[in-house]
Amino acid sequence: MGLIKEPLDIDFEVDPRPLTKEEQLAISEFIKEDKAKRAMLEKRPTKSRTSRKTKTTA
Amino acid sequence: MKKQQYKGLDFIIDKLTNSIENVQSGDSFPTEISLLTTSELKNVNSKNGWRFNWSSEIKKPECDIFKLTITNNPNIIQGIVSLEVKPDHVYMHLIESAPFNIGKHKTYIGVPGNLVAFACKLSFQRGCEGYVSFTAKSKLIDHYIESLGAVLFGGQLMVINTPAALKLTNKYF
Repeated sequence: MGLIKEPLDIDFEVDPRPLTKEEQLAISEFIKEDKAKRAMLEKRPTKSRTSRKTKTTA
Repeated sequence: MKKQQYKGLDFIIDKLTNSIENVQSGDSFPTEISLLTTSELKNVNSKNGWRFNWSSEIKKPECDIFKLTITNNPNIIQGIVSLEVKPDHVYMHLIESAPFNIGKHKTYIGVPGNLVAFACKLSFQRGCEGYVSFTAKSKLIDHYIESLGAVLFGGQLMVINTPAALKLTNKYF
């Protein structure tokens, strides 16, 4: 297990307010795009090393 | 509206340790997270140095309020978080460290990180793939990007996505 240490002079704080409908939609849209982006990256085929053809001399 | 800042995670795993650490001694203590009950709220008030009104927060039906305590010391609350499970993510309404865990002379470090990691874990458990959002205080945005791997995408709204959430949960759970 690790530990995320916060600096002594910093205290985590959030702005305590509920999300508006617009913000909620924006977050959902962002999440959709983020998922799609990751899915694309996962699908992208990785270059596989092919063995070089060696010339054979007769 | 969307302003994306993708930054790699760059927090340091300083050592293998339990969840929160005493600043003075460097000793680590295993922690537990559980639901906060109304009976426990009697000491969580402004008189005792808490800044947010948790009595009103606990009444919100959409929110679940969780407390962080040291294992075998359930009466001393180290920090509290208010979470709402939305259809596609978990929204963090409020997070507060105990008064003695705030400022340069805080007793323990690691309390908020622990609570945020729990929010990510809850998000995974509820089928939200680790996504957690919150409204950041503007002065702390950079710190959240660096320490949590959160992404700022509009105004002060920040999102922790799946890879960042995985790193956080793996660190704590």
